[in-house]
Amino acid sequence: MVRAIKGSLIKCDPSIKALIVDIDSKRHDIIIEELDDTNLLVSTDKIQFIKAELERILSKNAYNAMEAEEAEKQK
Amino acid sequence: MSSYLFKDTVNEYLENLPYSMKSKLFKSPATCLAIYRLLPNLAKFYIMSMVFHEKPVNSRIWDVWVKDSDQGKKLEVEGLRRMKSLNLITEKNNYLVLDEHFRESFRNALVGNDSHHAFGVPCATDENNKTSIDFLDEFATKKWESILHFMVGTELDELPSVGVLSLLKHSGLMEINGDITKRNLTSVNITKEGFSFLLQDVNAQIWTLLLEYLKIAETLNMDSVDVLNFIFMLGSLELGKDYSLEALSETQIKMLEDLRDYGLVYQRKASSKRFYPTRLATTLTSDSTTLRSVSSAMNKAIRSAKQDNEKDVKEEEAQVDFVSGTIIVETNFKLYCYATSPLQIAILNLFVHLKSRFSNLVTGQITRESIQRALKSGIASDQIIAYLEVNAHPQMKKLAQAALNKKIEFESVNGMKASHLSLRNLEIVPSNIVDQIKLWQLELDRIQAFGGYLFKDFKGEVEYKGLLNYAEEIGVLLYKDNANRKFFVTDEGRQQLIDYASRRTKRQKKS
Amino acid sequence: MARVAGALQQSLSLEHNDSDFSSDTSDTSFDSDDTKNPRQKKAKAVSKSFQKIKPQSGFVPDAVSKIFNGTDFSYLKLRPDHVSRPIWIYEAVDKIIIILESFSPLAEQAQDFLITIAEPVSRPSHVHEYRITLHSLYAAVSVGLETEDIIVVLNRFSKVPIADSIINFIRAATKSIGKVKLVLKHNRYFVESPQADILRMLLQDPIIGKLKIDSKDSIKNGDSEQSQNASTTTNGQNNNPSSSNDPNERLLNSVVGETKDAGNGIEDEQDDDNDDDFDKVHSFEIAVESVEDVKRRCLDIDYPVLEEYDFRNDSINANLDIGLKASTKVRPYQEKSLSKMFGNGRARSGIIVLPCGAGKTLVGITAACTIKKSVVVLCTSSVSAVQWRDQFLQWCTIHPDNVSVFTSDSKEIFKGDAGLVVSTYSMVANTRNRSHQSQKVMDFLTSREWGFIILDEVHVVPAEMFRRVITTIKAHAKLGLTATLVREDNKIGDLNFLIGPKLYEANWMDLAQKGHIAKVQCAEVWCPMTSEFYQEYLRQNARKKMLLYVMNPTKFQACQFLIHYHEKRGDKIIVFSDNVYALREYALKLEKHFICGDTPQHERLDILKNFQLNENVNTIFLSKVGDTSIDLPEATCLIQISSHYGSRRQEAQRLGRILRAKRRNDEGFNAFFYSLVSKDTQEMYYSTKRQAFLVDQGYAFKVITHLNGMESLPNLAYSSAKERRELLQDILLKNEELANLEEGDDADDVIGRSANAAKKRRNKAKRTAGSLASHAGGEDMAYVEHGRNRNKELREHSSLMQKLYYKK
Repeated sequence: MVRAIKGSLIKCDPSIKALIVDIDSKRHDIIIEELDDTNLLVSTDKIQFIKAELERILSKNAYNAMEAEEAEKQK
Repeated sequence: MSSYLFKDTVNEYLENLPYSMKSKLFKSPATCLAIYRLLPNLAKFYIMSMVFHEKPVNSRIWDVWVKDSDQGKKLEVEGLRRMKSLNLITEKNNYLVLDEHFRESFRNALVGNDSHHAFGVPCATDENNKTSIDFLDEFATKKWESILHFMVGTELDELPSVGVLSLLKHSGLMEINGDITKRNLTSVNITKEGFSFLLQDVNAQIWTLLLEYLKIAETLNMDSVDVLNFIFMLGSLELGKDYSLEALSETQIKMLEDLRDYGLVYQRKASSKRFYPTRLATTLTSDSTTLRSVSSAMNKAIRSAKQDNEKDVKEEEAQVDFVSGTIIVETNFKLYCYATSPLQIAILNLFVHLKSRFSNLVTGQITRESIQRALKSGIASDQIIAYLEVNAHPQMKKLAQAALNKKIEFESVNGMKASHLSLRNLEIVPSNIVDQIKLWQLELDRIQAFGGYLFKDFKGEVEYKGLLNYAEEIGVLLYKDNANRKFFVTDEGRQQLIDYASRRTKRQKKS
Repeated sequence: MARVAGALQQSLSLEHNDSDFSSDTSDTSFDSDDTKNPRQKKAKAVSKSFQKIKPQSGFVPDAVSKIFNGTDFSYLKLRPDHVSRPIWIYEAVDKIIIILESFSPLAEQAQDFLITIAEPVSRPSHVHEYRITLHSLYAAVSVGLETEDIIVVLNRFSKVPIADSIINFIRAATKSIGKVKLVLKHNRYFVESPQADILRMLLQDPIIGKLKIDSKDSIKNGDSEQSQNASTTTNGQNNNPSSSNDPNERLLNSVVGETKDAGNGIEDEQDDDNDDDFDKVHSFEIAVESVEDVKRRCLDIDYPVLEEYDFRNDSINANLDIGLKASTKVRPYQEKSLSKMFGNGRARSGIIVLPCGAGKTLVGITAACTIKKSVVVLCTSSVSAVQWRDQFLQWCTIHPDNVSVFTSDSKEIFKGDAGLVVSTYSMVANTRNRSHQSQKVMDFLTSREWGFIILDEVHVVPAEMFRRVITTIKAHAKLGLTATLVREDNKIGDLNFLIGPKLYEANWMDLAQKGHIAKVQCAEVWCPMTSEFYQEYLRQNARKKMLLYVMNPTKFQACQFLIHYHEKRGDKIIVFSDNVYALREYALKLEKHFICGDTPQHERLDILKNFQLNENVNTIFLSKVGDTSIDLPEATCLIQISSHYGSRRQEAQRLGRILRAKRRNDEGFNAFFYSLVSKDTQEMYYSTKRQAFLVDQGYAFKVITHLNGMESLPNLAYSSAKERRELLQDILLKNEELANLEEGDDADDVIGRSANAAKKRRNKAKRTAGSLASHAGGEDMAYVEHGRNRNKELREHSSLMQKLYYKK
């Protein structure tokens, strides 16, 4: 029987997809179905969470000169 | 993209008015004069030659006045087009006829008597303590700036008036939530359009607001013709003079309160029988050269840094002197701005991490946080880049020009083909900064999300293809996987597919 | 013992301590009990005073003042002629910042002045920033500037009035500098001061007083034998006679318009003797072992010692017949740096900072030719030592007989009374296992007084080794040469203490503009990770992560493409990789030669020669050995595929490899520097951090997100999913130790090790007993006496190390 599953289609690059899969691996409530390298079906109400998590994780890869300066000041 | 020049916005508005309104407008000499001022020089010339000449004129006559060149042709065509779209002239068999109403009113404006008080009624009696021009300037600046400061998020002692708040909200320049009538706001955010607005020069900004005001006026049962006429009349008033409320219509008197809020007119008190136009009002329709004398906060001339590529029909702009830019952006992301106005500082604060301030300089740094903060509040990366380019310090331009010259020289010396014209653009803002700002924007857009439905578990290829093709046809398909027979459609698409599917099964049952 | 420059470091802003990878502070034996250190207390007090600064009364904050939270200085009234003044100056929290308009009419003079009294923070195209710190003021006074003159000139240049707090800081910081000198005479050390009360105070100091030693001819208060011996004269007065009466002019001249020929210096030192008002010198002797303690204590009580060498009046040490050849051309910035060293006719000890490829060697040689006394040069490797010797012979008139080299290959002592010895840090610092001949040379070095010691690449040397070297060899004047004063471990304070203050720092962009170093286009190439690699990356631990992002197939392809592209252009390419595993994999797959620690000497020379001369060898791969120990012929393109945890020094240094490119004077020529980083990984963080120094010098790193034409490159590596999967499997199976830095491989280049690695080895050594421990320690200083067999032996050691410590 044909099924129509409600959700949100996420289009992204492979690295982001891998990140989302990783986030999901600990909670199992984000991804409904993995479609391919650049497409995922996720719960619509988790979209904001995904965006926030991605931002949090990816920010770690960004060196922030101002933060370092602030940290220096605290010493 | 609409240009930053107020003339364009006003013209656009006027051109789009129905003829009935236009002919009403033409009854006011002040309005006719104002419209005249907004025309390009060649059109002005044409009008003048037709005002005192009753008969239709052969359009060929004017060919004489234009150079036989591409540019000349362009000017002529543009001039005629503008006049036609404003319904100033009509063309019949190469003969041009000037609108009657316009002719009469314009004549009056030029040589006639001012029986209609078309240009405002100066007060007969002097006020006891005459208001000085300096005071008016200060008043206007303060009022106007407080609106901009509010938009930019500066902490203010007092919120703008209810009128201003509604205007900002309805014009889409700001997102304002809460009870505006009580000035009880829950959230306030500038929009992308709001930021574009901030980039415009003062004159353009005022016109933007006035035109929005016009739109609202219609819903408030104010006569738009009255409103427009008043606006145009303001443009012809004299700074420093006070004018009586005598010749104003009810609508126009109502307008005074709002115009006070914008800093366009001043009244000692709400019940005053006279009003003073401020410089913001008197320069509404004049050429921009006079704007330079207005206080620096209001003087955000965003004249072209794009001189090279713009073969502009509005050649009068070329004569306009522009204020030097003030912003230096270094390749290490540090920013130095010779800003003197708190407003410019407040605008910079939207997307720059500001560090220190002197009376003639602010320093700061463009960081990922500061840019993404701006991007998230709706400002686009190319707006930020445009702002930096347009306000670039002469040293930046000098450096960019030198680099370009070197490149050209290098190419010619080495017999290389000259770079494509588009590559000849001055790179005023260092390219690594431009690129990085765009990259930071891309970072925020790493995922695209679409609500909808995933269709799967088809019995066979036929069933799958049947629905798939339909989905594609009606344009609701977002993803397909032929190998696994899955596809994804939008929310709306699902219902349509269901309907289509049931129609098909019915048909199949029948057959 | 208190951490010497700990207090001073508080004002340093250039480095950030990378807490993940900070080098081991137990490297030095300075203890870190901050509270006992009066110097630190003072610095803290000074900084606290900044925070209390309130804006002057009458300041009306406006709508935007809040944004600045205390750094709104708009209340400072601009001076009427502010347009022609080039700087703004302000203090915030505990920093004094100067902003310079480099396009202002007085900018050039201001720059010369600022580099003398402040640290450059950033110097891009239009607006520069500097910082005044305790260190920088110390350096300023050391080169002869006086407190009030500094203030007057700052005022002259400043668009705004200078806050009292800044003026007070300058006065307080410089109050006691220059009042105490340390003099080396007849192989003995004397503490001198022109003021008797200061000397008395020193003698009464609990620490210093105890260190005074009695000597038969020690000089007590009263007459000095100025004209006779090598003692220095008074406090750091600038004795530059100048025709101008205006103190500003004089000051500017002394700083800016120094004597052209640094070799001549100023005559008439005798004038001083004739001056009746002239302060007499008071001094007492201390033992050589106490020197450091005394220096440190003096610093702690706010009387840092100045070390100046009056070489013209040194009749004890033999003169060396040495002078620059007529054909040798000294460039303006080299002269300028030397004028700081010799400004008042004496030789000041300190550090000169010049970008790589700008001719540091010639600066050292010229200084030696000025002093004309016996000189020692210490380098980081025996290869460098040989180069220094060759350059001495090339640029100056020294007789070959007077030159000797002291390395594992050569144990010479020069003939005659005076001469040049070129050696390496490790040769001198090593305390074990000396051969008989080696000991002879060491005795020769330690038993005499040297006029001058040149310390090459000071930033590289660990403090421990450094200290040993400096206390072992007694030299009157010390010159440290380096390209970068940035050290991740904040040890600049130590260097200042051990050698002297920074004398001069060149402006990279300026040198590039004038063609002294190449112009470089810098770029960061973002290589997305393939999905399998990235998935693994997310799962693995830190070290495996590193292997994965370095061996990212996309990165490999990018490297291949860039090599292909630049070889076609005729460039000579060097590819750097800290990680040896990656180095080998890349090089072997791309069929290019590579050099790493394991590579025997003769092979290295062979590869380098080919690189230089053979038109078919246009790309070589180098590991960290390439950083210091190898004189590379010019390359015009640099590709970095793996770099270590964010070291700014290394980034700058690697850039130096292409800065010296000879084609730099060709119109339109650019060298290229690519840093390949894997997108969305930790590598991006480190990359940005590393670039910080270069970015502040004015280099812009372009981000390249896509290489046009890469996909269609013939024979593109890892183009099939299968190949990529295999690579991934391969990496996952590898021992994660492969992610370590290259350790223990560099035979003669001990300097290249990070302190971290040294610590690791020591720790490991603790776990084992007796002789193995000594092996482990010995590795560090394993000064290779075994000549030709060294590599073999070392490789044996290495494999022993590998077996003992790295086996899981």
